[in-house]
Amino acid sequence: MSIVAKETIEVIAQSIGINNLSDDAALSLAPDVEYRMREIMQEAIQCMRHSRRTILTTDDVDGALNLRNVEPVYGFTSGGPLQFKRAIGHRDLFYIDDRDVDLKEVIEAPLPKAPLDTGVACHWLAIEGVQPAIPENAPVGVIAAPSNGNTHEQKDELPVDIRLPVKHVLSRELQLYFDKITELTLRKSDSALFKEALVSLATDSGLHPLVPYFTFFVADEVSRGLNDYSLLFALMRIVWSLLQNPHIHIEPYLHQLMPSVVTCLVSKKLGNRIADNHWELRDFTAKLVALICKRFGHVYNTLQTRLTKTLLNALLDPKRALTQHYGAIQGLAALGPNVVRLLILPNLEPYLRLLEPELLLEKQKNEMKRYEAWRVYGALLRAAGQGIYERLKIFPPLPSPPGHTIWKSKEKVVTAVPNKRKASMEPLEDEPALKKIATDGPIGSLALVTTLAPSGQNDAGQPSSSEKKTANRVGKDGQTLKKSAILNQIWKDDLNSGHTLVTLLELLGEGILSFIPSPEMSLFL
Amino acid sequence: MENMQAVNNFVAAYLKKKGFKEAEQLLEDLQNKESAPIDFHNDPELAKFIHRFSQSEDDVARYQDGYSKLRSWTYSSLDLYKHELLRVLYPVFIHSFMDMVAKGHLQEARTFFNNFREDHELMHSRDLQKLEGVLSQSHLEEMEFARSLRQSKVNIKICQYSYDLLLQYLHKTQSTAMLGVINEHINFQVSSGQPSSISDDAEVVTLIGSCQDTANQINQKEIHWGLLEDSLEERLEKAGGLLSDSEKTEEENKEGDADDTKKRSVESGKQGASTKKLKKEKALNATAKSARPEASTTPAAPRVKAKLPLPLMSTEVEQSILEDLRNRVQLSSVLLPSVSFYTFLNTHNGLNCSSISHDGSLVAGGFSDSSLKVWDMAKLGQQGGSSILQAENDSTSSEHVVGPNGGKRSYTLFQGHSGPVHSATFSPLGDFILSSSADTTIRLWSTKLNANLVCYKGHNYPVWDVQFSPVGHYFASASHDRTARIWSMDRIQPLRIMAGHLSDVDCVQWHANCNYIATGSSDKTVRLWDVQNGECVRIFIGHRSMILSLAMSPDGRYMASGDEDGMIMMWDISSGRCITPLMGHTSCVWTVAFSCEGSLLASGSADCTVKLWDVTTSAKVPRNEEKSGNPNRLRLLKTLATKSTPVYSLQFSRRNLLFAAGALSKNL
Repeated sequence: MSIVAKETIEVIAQSIGINNLSDDAALSLAPDVEYRMREIMQEAIQCMRHSRRTILTTDDVDGALNLRNVEPVYGFTSGGPLQFKRAIGHRDLFYIDDRDVDLKEVIEAPLPKAPLDTGVACHWLAIEGVQPAIPENAPVGVIAAPSNGNTHEQKDELPVDIRLPVKHVLSRELQLYFDKITELTLRKSDSALFKEALVSLATDSGLHPLVPYFTFFVADEVSRGLNDYSLLFALMRIVWSLLQNPHIHIEPYLHQLMPSVVTCLVSKKLGNRIADNHWELRDFTAKLVALICKRFGHVYNTLQTRLTKTLLNALLDPKRALTQHYGAIQGLAALGPNVVRLLILPNLEPYLRLLEPELLLEKQKNEMKRYEAWRVYGALLRAAGQGIYERLKIFPPLPSPPGHTIWKSKEKVVTAVPNKRKASMEPLEDEPALKKIATDGPIGSLALVTTLAPSGQNDAGQPSSSEKKTANRVGKDGQTLKKSAILNQIWKDDLNSGHTLVTLLELLGEGILSFIPSPEMSLFL
Repeated sequence: MENMQAVNNFVAAYLKKKGFKEAEQLLEDLQNKESAPIDFHNDPELAKFIHRFSQSEDDVARYQDGYSKLRSWTYSSLDLYKHELLRVLYPVFIHSFMDMVAKGHLQEARTFFNNFREDHELMHSRDLQKLEGVLSQSHLEEMEFARSLRQSKVNIKICQYSYDLLLQYLHKTQSTAMLGVINEHINFQVSSGQPSSISDDAEVVTLIGSCQDTANQINQKEIHWGLLEDSLEERLEKAGGLLSDSEKTEEENKEGDADDTKKRSVESGKQGASTKKLKKEKALNATAKSARPEASTTPAAPRVKAKLPLPLMSTEVEQSILEDLRNRVQLSSVLLPSVSFYTFLNTHNGLNCSSISHDGSLVAGGFSDSSLKVWDMAKLGQQGGSSILQAENDSTSSEHVVGPNGGKRSYTLFQGHSGPVHSATFSPLGDFILSSSADTTIRLWSTKLNANLVCYKGHNYPVWDVQFSPVGHYFASASHDRTARIWSMDRIQPLRIMAGHLSDVDCVQWHANCNYIATGSSDKTVRLWDVQNGECVRIFIGHRSMILSLAMSPDGRYMASGDEDGMIMMWDISSGRCITPLMGHTSCVWTVAFSCEGSLLASGSADCTVKLWDVTTSAKVPRNEEKSGNPNRLRLLKTLATKSTPVYSLQFSRRNLLFAAGALSKNL
């Protein structure tokens, strides 16, 4: 009937030495105990209100007891909540883990640290009704709009969140650090010390105040030092390190950084000497761009579109230098296979047509230009190959029975590859300039392998869907009808990409055609 | 009946046979008399009455059954009459419950209560909490709340048609238990015409212990809510802020026309003027007043004479106040005040109250460790925060102890209370502080001497609130002993004791003309008391929970009260009616304050906001219009959120700068 059970009364009675409390007495006491407890708690709430609190504390209960001239509960406060423990050997008997406190222990315990003394701080909550945006005030956004009709009025008067200009104070140490880093960047960017500096930039936690300075530094130096290859590389490395640093919130400064980074990617001329390996710089920067897009693409959804637009413009403009094309291709390729598929592949054919004369010895007499053209071609191959490779990787693995045929055809391809490489090597040997590419930068040949291996794999599947003849044959002899249905389904899904593949192969094939003997070609087609 | 008739006939025949003529005659008379006025069958009321008594021994399930039927009938009634009928449910509910308890059916009463408490939780949660504990007849008798409920009747306004509907239902269903409860405890005020609107019911459902009639009667009393004549504001208005010194001294003398000369002894030098001269001046004053009512822009509030002897003000003080008044910023709904916020840090949940002096230079905090701490914000501002050295004065009783880190405290510590300090108030000039504590005493402290001057003992229970009067010298206190008391600084005994509240008096506030005080209580009423004779002159009924804060408008016309639920009610003092409830806070309203010209109301709450309300529109829109439109349109001008700092006190300076104080609490 009442919250207090009869048993509780009995237990309490026992605890104060009344052993023979009758059932009736316990029964009639129980409701009264509850009543008194409620009374006391209500007075405790009263005390709580007068202490300007909304959370009831034990002090309030003591205060309420005091009001009724009852001795307050004396005791030693325990830090945590009381824990009920199960008595060993009983299923539903619990007890409070109330351990004895040795007074001596308490007395001899070292004094706890004195709490901070009360103080009063003063700030403007509002100035003529408008809350200034100072740290003492709750941020304006936090004020949830009340659910009732007051909202529209409040909106009218919601203060415009004007940020007061903040004075930026840099500590002496940070200033020194910044000076040191910049000096290293400008003077000794190839020293071991600079490498240390980069590690520090990528890991140190207190660098955030310097970020605006670094971004400005990078932007400034890039615009001035386009001729200094090593400087540019060092600057890009700094950007890379800053991006790596988990303690830095670089987002707000991206808009300052991006132009310089993109410059290092697609600028016509980076460094003034021939020995400067600006290709490497472009590759690095492409990776950097991809990293930025990956990290902040979801925050700034226009970031990647704007970037790809810039790069594509650079690529498709025939008046641009080949170095710029190279940078654009690398940048796009770094952004992932989807970008390659959507932006490079459709433009591959016209572009190759454009590039072709540059590649040929007889048409382009300038060795330097031709070298550049081959670089571009290599990059293009790699990009396209990677794109296709990624694309094929996501194809569902084909069921095993047709696998045989695929493997068979793949074997053919694999065996063909060395031949072909050899074949491609042969003409390379004819041309010393191109041989250099193949040896010092294995990009071209590597790209060839990567493109050919997967395209070979697809080659087996591809005709089966696009060119019905072989497909039907494979389907009929190798497997049951059910499986062929599934396969057809899969192939149909990828029909589109298959088409692009074919065209790509043809294009690349044409590109390669001049160097590859015709027997190899027939195997492909 | 048939039997009875037979017996009667038999008796009559017997008497006739024996020849007892007289007896026979008597019996006949008796029979006729009996049958004529008392017609058991044809009087339904009586039949019900008897019926009810015959069944009063019956099982208690009747209540449960009857109530649940009545409830479902009410809920399914027409929308037009539904809310009126719903009002009936709550009193029926609690009285049914108490009837059941009274008859000893505790178990059934419990289940009944738990079954239906949901319905009333929204409106009456606190009452229900109290009643929930009632578990035996003795509790009913012991508990004041229950007793007063049992003894009084609830007034319910209801339209004729709803009333008829209800009666019809009760008769038709023979639910006599319900009818009995309704008859016994509800007093219907049947009005002809349309049912009243929903928004009207706030006060109707509030169950108060005292009879509503007496409350109404009290509220009929005359009240002089006008401002004090010859106040500084008035003088400023009149003289256009250009008072010559001579005029001022004359006027000052005039203030001394009261009987009590005790306090004037200091200034007795100035008291050369004879009473005749005073009267003459007053007459002049009166003519001047009547001559220029149109000159003043605001509708002038009527002027009243102070019933208390008022303390005198020194010339310098007066001048500084006048200076403040001249520089006052005019606030309105489009011109909001600047708010300076004093945040108490590191209070460790110990801050019980805070108070800000009128000029905002001093801030006092009362703590649960019995201490009162006063910060001088002027000094704090000068020295920029942390390590301020308060001018040390070893001779004072309030010792300055060297702080833990070797630095001195930034505040003055007043120690003397032996219980949590629940309230503190600055005198209008900021030279005294009063603090009230759970140790039942009120202490007067001097901020000049940093010492305790007087300890006022009189209350028997914790003193929840203490407030200086607007002119100083007098103060009022409110206590758990259900009384409010008026004191003057120079006497250790209270001057008046105001008794009448049915529960703790939680807060107290002076009327602008010092002739009245208002008290807010846990019995959910606000009362207005005449300071002169100690009588209750108004009862304001409408709050649904304990009243925590009160404020009086500077023109003396309105009063605002804030309660535990976050509701603020604006009252018209002269009529005793609620003008409008201001809803917006979600938690206890710890403090309310009117701006100096009374156009804005500021409220501070445990929900960590300061809200600014437009008084002029909310007061002027008549109530009828109110109902038609959105009930809380545009009153709320602004919500200023703090950073997890409940607002404990608000104070408008004379120049209309708003000061607010609160303790930063992290566990909110």
